[in-house]
Amino acid sequence: MADVTLPSLGESVTEGIITRWMKNVGDVVERDEPLFEISTDKVDSELPSPAAGVLLKILANEGDTVGVGAVVAVIGELDGSTASPATPVADAPVAAPIQSASAPSLSASASMSFEKGLVVSPIVRRILDGGGVDARAVQGTGPGGSVTRRDAETAVANGPTDDVPIALTPGMRRMAHHMVDSVRTSPHGFVAVEVDASVFIKLEAVGRTTTDGTPINDEALVALAAVRALAEFDFFNATVAGDDLIIHRTINLGFVRSLQPAGMLVPVVHAAGGLTLRALAHRLNDLSDRVESRQLTTDDLLGGTFSLLAAPTPSTLVAMPLLIQPNVAALSVGAVRHAAVVVLRDGVEIVEPGRRLVLGLSFDHRVADPVSAAKYLERVGELLAAIDVNAER
Amino acid sequence: MAPESKQFDVVVIGGGPGGYAAALYAAAAGLSVALIERDKVGGTCLHRGCIPAKEFLETAHVLRTIEHAGAFGFTTSAPTVDFAVSQNRKNEVVDQLHKGLSGLLKGRKIEVLDGTGRLDANNTVSVLDGADAGATLIGKNVILASGSVPRTLPGFDVDGTIILTSDEFLALSALPASAAVIGGGAIGCEFASMLSDMGSKVTIVEGLPSILAGCDTEVASVVQRSFKKRGIDIVSNAKVIGHTPSTTGTTLHLDGVEDLHVEMVIVSVGRRPRTQGLLGEATGVELDERGFVVADEYMRTAAPNVFAVGDVVAGTPQLAHVGFAEAIVAIKTILGEVTVPVNYDRVPWAIYTNPEVAFCGLTEAAAKERGYNVIVKKDPFAGNGRARIIGDTEGVVKIIAEKNADGTAGQLLGVHMAGPWVTEQLGAGYFAVNWEATASEAAALIQPHPSLSETFGETLLALAGRGLHVG
Repeated sequence: MADVTLPSLGESVTEGIITRWMKNVGDVVERDEPLFEISTDKVDSELPSPAAGVLLKILANEGDTVGVGAVVAVIGELDGSTASPATPVADAPVAAPIQSASAPSLSASASMSFEKGLVVSPIVRRILDGGGVDARAVQGTGPGGSVTRRDAETAVANGPTDDVPIALTPGMRRMAHHMVDSVRTSPHGFVAVEVDASVFIKLEAVGRTTTDGTPINDEALVALAAVRALAEFDFFNATVAGDDLIIHRTINLGFVRSLQPAGMLVPVVHAAGGLTLRALAHRLNDLSDRVESRQLTTDDLLGGTFSLLAAPTPSTLVAMPLLIQPNVAALSVGAVRHAAVVVLRDGVEIVEPGRRLVLGLSFDHRVADPVSAAKYLERVGELLAAIDVNAER
Repeated sequence: MAPESKQFDVVVIGGGPGGYAAALYAAAAGLSVALIERDKVGGTCLHRGCIPAKEFLETAHVLRTIEHAGAFGFTTSAPTVDFAVSQNRKNEVVDQLHKGLSGLLKGRKIEVLDGTGRLDANNTVSVLDGADAGATLIGKNVILASGSVPRTLPGFDVDGTIILTSDEFLALSALPASAAVIGGGAIGCEFASMLSDMGSKVTIVEGLPSILAGCDTEVASVVQRSFKKRGIDIVSNAKVIGHTPSTTGTTLHLDGVEDLHVEMVIVSVGRRPRTQGLLGEATGVELDERGFVVADEYMRTAAPNVFAVGDVVAGTPQLAHVGFAEAIVAIKTILGEVTVPVNYDRVPWAIYTNPEVAFCGLTEAAAKERGYNVIVKKDPFAGNGRARIIGDTEGVVKIIAEKNADGTAGQLLGVHMAGPWVTEQLGAGYFAVNWEATASEAAALIQPHPSLSETFGETLLALAGRGLHVG
């Protein structure tokens, strides 16, 4: 038998909420197979089974808050006596066929989480329909929680429930908390500039991958330029502490990732300062993979000094990001657009097909101003245009 | 654990309405089912209760029809009855229904075992006697449906000739010239009504101030008046002290009332649960102080995967159709399906006396007791065309609605009927009360003309503010 404990989820995290069990008691689990999902104040993670066997007991239910190190489940050996469900029927010989193929499966104890409001009188239904109230949103007082006429009339009197309240997910709660905090802490300024993006034509020409095959996306290329520009504009890679602006020597670049159905994470590529395009592409891909497979740890989310928001959709001009506290700047990358650009050829202005891109910078107006922000963005544009894609990939 | 234990999805103890309904409904859902019955499937209802009693009440109805035939122009001689033939006909009806039910159980591949079932620990059920004595079964789910038996009175040993309960009464092949019915509830009143119509001199001995105590008083008084008119004596607030048997019957001794000599005493003072010996050691099932099985609204007992349905359940009406409904709730719960528990305040009640009684929902007194402001309307059957045609105008429909703040009638709380075929008429009232209709919503719907149900419709119209015929 093996106890499943809540492992360390990174420094400063002492507890988490179990949001989902992927296995039921009695299920066979492989070692490292995802067993349950945990939500902390930093991140949602899937945690793997520490051993192969049969899930014998679940000691913490979905919704329970558990501390790091707490035993949340017990895994038994596959062939041991503890492995088979301990019901008297298990070892009883079966003389008659127990169930026909079409028989419904019986749960050990019938689930009583019946959907509410499905069986209501036609009159109650009419009252609810007339009032625009969803029967499932009404707390019934009749037998089994059924919705009575009085319940329906009260619900209708309280107004239509076109607005259906939905509890915030842990991800939404984290986002809400952080964003309110950010707006309260920093007076946000925002500047956007349009820059040349013809480098992407070059990138497309060489195949949008590194020489060892790792995809290079728009975000990686702009991030490289942004990091390089920060060397000259180090006051954007900083934190306000009382009356001081603390300039960080290390650039830890956070990448905004949205969660479904709502919420966001900002995993960090640490020490991004000296990275080549290839190395940055590798790090970024690794991060994206781990976001997808919910393998991020809290450490992946800590220590960001500057953040980058990629274009949310292919036609976004630019979005205004809120600052990830305690950063003082956040770069927003618009979609790379095909555009008719005016160029000088042999002393004549002509129009030819090109690429343009809007870059935005949200900055903490306590310590920065629109001029420095615009200058930073222009410098990012210059450095972006100067990337020798073929050499650096 | 016996090695020959068979395993089933559902093991049902008791083959009465609750038990056989559970078995049929479970089998219809594809579950494997065993049903243990100590006597005959169909239980009390089919063999010693509802069905035989109604058959005899119909015998009395036929007699009344013949007696009234003269009014329609028929010349008939005074009818005589050979009650042995009546008894045979009842047995045939019961046999046919029993065969039908047995065939149905077989057709659904339900394994029916003969004997008395006992629940032991770990959902094991043992068959204690009968043809299948010694068998043990394991049910993933067990349903206790062992039913009830007539209660008796101390000092009144049931001998089947002078002192009878419903069990013996319904097996009689000759009726007594005189009888005392102790207990004026539904069963006692049905027996009294039938005996009186068949020519017996009947006295009802009731401990409470009036007969049919659970009914709305105005409906009960219709029956009481009719009984008195037909010569049934009713001794209310009675206290039975004892009796002295003789060769011609027995003499009942009542406190403060003259002794009463009758050929036969029928004891109908309620039914007690049949739970003695039902439970072995450590089953976890909880019984109340009177021996009924405690179950929640989904029919779950205190023991996991053990359910109880029917008369054996504590605090629920002892009605076959309530047993059916509870069985469905239990099986749906086992299947994990959406189910609405039985609303015991609003089950239909039917008493097959002459005149019949049927009702659903709160009586006027109960509604007031629960703090409702009520508005009540009544319409007698005397004004009903169809009732005139059939020559049966005794009775009334009474409907109780919640009174709105503006004085109008709101939601229907109870529908109470006494009169011709009201047991067949209650359906509309049952739907109205359970669908929580208001008086005007129900009144907007039409009753056919001419029909007995117009009296119900007329009462609704009056309740909604303006009656066609009554105010």
